[in-house]
Amino acid sequence: MGLSNALVSELASIVGAEAVKSGDLDRHLYSKDAGVIRGEVSVVVLPRTARQVASIVRTAVAHGLAVVPRGAGTGLTGGAVPEGPAILLVTTRMDQVDVDAANRTAWVGPGVINLDLSNQTASLGIHFAPDPSSQAACTIGGNVANNSGGPHCLAEGSTVNHVLAVEFVTAGGEIVVAGSGAPDPPGLDVRGVMVGSEGTLGIITRILVKLIPNPPAIRTLLIAFPEVRGAAATVTDVIASGVVPAALEMMDQPLIRAVENFVHADLPVDAAVVLLAEVVGHEAGVDVEAELIERIATDHGAFQLRRAADADERELLWKARKSSFGAIAQIAPDYYLHDTVIPRTKLVEVLEQIYQIAERRNLVVLNTIHAGDGNLHPLFAFDASDPEAVTQVNQAADEIVEISIAAGGVLSGEHGIGQEKRDLMHLVFSPVDLDAQARLRDAFDPEATMNPKKILPAGARCFDFGRPIPEGAWL
Amino acid sequence: MTGLRSTLGKLVGGSAIEIDGAPAADLSVAPESAEQIATLLDFASEHGLTVLPWGSGRHQGFGGRIDPDVIVSTSRLAGITEWIPDDLTVVLGSGATLGLLHDQIWTRRQSAILPETSPEATIGGVIAAGVSGWKRLRYGPTRDRLLQVKFVTGDGRVVTGGARVVKNVTGYDLPRLLTGSFGSLGIITSVCLKLWPVPEALATVATDDPDRALAVTHRPQAVLETPDGVSVYLAGTAAEVEAQAAAVGGEVTAGHSWPDQPAGECVVCIRVTPVDVALVVTSLTAHSFVAAHGVGEVVVAVDPSEIEGLRERAEAGGGAVVVERAPQAVYEEIDPWGTPPATIDLQRRIKAAFDPLNVLVAGRLPGNL
Repeated sequence: MGLSNALVSELASIVGAEAVKSGDLDRHLYSKDAGVIRGEVSVVVLPRTARQVASIVRTAVAHGLAVVPRGAGTGLTGGAVPEGPAILLVTTRMDQVDVDAANRTAWVGPGVINLDLSNQTASLGIHFAPDPSSQAACTIGGNVANNSGGPHCLAEGSTVNHVLAVEFVTAGGEIVVAGSGAPDPPGLDVRGVMVGSEGTLGIITRILVKLIPNPPAIRTLLIAFPEVRGAAATVTDVIASGVVPAALEMMDQPLIRAVENFVHADLPVDAAVVLLAEVVGHEAGVDVEAELIERIATDHGAFQLRRAADADERELLWKARKSSFGAIAQIAPDYYLHDTVIPRTKLVEVLEQIYQIAERRNLVVLNTIHAGDGNLHPLFAFDASDPEAVTQVNQAADEIVEISIAAGGVLSGEHGIGQEKRDLMHLVFSPVDLDAQARLRDAFDPEATMNPKKILPAGARCFDFGRPIPEGAWL
Repeated sequence: MTGLRSTLGKLVGGSAIEIDGAPAADLSVAPESAEQIATLLDFASEHGLTVLPWGSGRHQGFGGRIDPDVIVSTSRLAGITEWIPDDLTVVLGSGATLGLLHDQIWTRRQSAILPETSPEATIGGVIAAGVSGWKRLRYGPTRDRLLQVKFVTGDGRVVTGGARVVKNVTGYDLPRLLTGSFGSLGIITSVCLKLWPVPEALATVATDDPDRALAVTHRPQAVLETPDGVSVYLAGTAAEVEAQAAAVGGEVTAGHSWPDQPAGECVVCIRVTPVDVALVVTSLTAHSFVAAHGVGEVVVAVDPSEIEGLRERAEAGGGAVVVERAPQAVYEEIDPWGTPPATIDLQRRIKAAFDPLNVLVAGRLPGNL
């Protein structure tokens, strides 16, 4: 459905005609993210300022339309894909960066590319810690919306640990700031709730991020194992030893082989699994920690230890890890990437179950795992033109969620819920839990203007067993 | 009240208790489960009773004063439910003390990175007050380690938010919302915390230049200043600690010895951006204080007449001055929080979403919320 000409001109009067896109091609291009779900876009607007965003929200409310925010569209869960008539608000032009080097913070627009920020602050010796694999393309607004992680969030935490304040436009069209550059601002932690809320509570227009010092020394290790069990035991023992590596990643054999063909990093293609471990810190400490990890790995049967000799080799090893998804294209035209979390100690048993699911359904599965966090990313390579393959992949997806939850895990560690997992929320939360989340959402956005039909399943407030609110109650 | 008293006593399966240091209330009870608290809060909502949750009382000096009908103690929710050392997670009741938790997890050299000098405080109180220890320079605030929270809303619903995994974006972040909510949204009954391994070597180094100390060390655990001087708290491998201690250059003491809270009847926390800490410290004269460089916290004993002036300067720079404890009369004269936050209307609606009849700690939060 397109918008009426009157609405298009109203939006054009806010942001300028060239920043409103209502043609069929644009509406089609913006109707999906990097995942598999396609939606319906009424019109695309690309504001530059918070005041423009506020005007767009007020216009949307006046016309009974939803507003769906979108950054670079690298999300995988349909979080930035409208499910009904909506204004798609693209934040990529909101890319101001204002660094406060002394306080190690920066106010950034939601459209700033993740890697661009760290590149800009490199000369100051500080960086933005969250580093999703898509960091060369994804926006910080998207990172905040999904509370994104990345390999280095093992030691540094996900995006929420690095956001001090957010400026956002409320469903009522007001611009407010939650949080502060000073610690623990008084009152409820609205900032903490905004992070990870996938655009459902307000449109974020500016973000105060924390920047952390670049480590003076780094050691990057690639360790090959003949079986998964030894690698998993290494992960557990390393963390129990008192060393928390900056990153602790696992890749399985199918993935190693696909990646090796792609990046030629001399990876051990005979290994059942490799660990990519990184320790950072003071020059005097990193070798000791690297040796400790190597010793633990050797005790658990590692047959090859490789330590990056210089920055180039380190970059190559990380390129191997982060280009996993590009490498898949050699195997099959399409892929479905999962994201669940389990307690770290359940890694071996859950991975074995994933292999069994793939075998039973005749699917190609490759695994890249944030092992230190227990964050699984099984990836099915398939051909979407084969309906049987699509059915098998979708059913395998549900099974993976089920086994993850049976192991005490959750639906998502860093990709978010969006539309993809919205209807699975009841697997981890009771009706009362979901009702509480729905009440929270309603407190921000009672008319469901902001990215509706995401995160919570329909009918999350399906029952009301509370007593009627008496007259004069404090509301 | 006698009828209500006996009904409430029956609801929680026990008789009234006495709580040292708590304000006068018609009834104080210590339920033994979240379900009992739910029954009690449902009853309170029905009869319009006001309720104050109580742990050790350690953080009850924060915020507006409460005149409760009922005090709910968490003293019977005081156990460690499950500690999984290999996952670095622990689940415990909100009434468990920091001392109890420390003594157990220290056996595997693990730490929950909680306030260092109040072992009598309960975990529920620490989470509800949103307070952090001095090591937040390295590990971030307490709210970054609350993985899961179970609580009872004002209208008596038992809600769980988050999960027992270390990385999670499944649903809205209720654990963070509950951290620092001072019991206004619900009574916390149990939590799951992320733990950290304690590094091999710890040392404290004296210095007189906090900025230089921050510059020549990599991610120290804390850089604290008191009237006695500045200390840098280092941790890591023995080699790394030794090298960094040498770079700082002052007298080295093995281990970490944390300063006591400032002594005085009226203690406030000045919260400013990290670079403003030095300015705040310069403005203090004969005060007892602890200043956290690199973080932006200065806890200081003051004369109540100084609060307005300190607050004016802090708020001008985007900070705050928060009363941590003070004689009763101070609360009648001075707002314990200062200027309400910009999101106060939103906060009022959030409060109403979880406590529609406003039975929980009305007036404790900023803006008399």
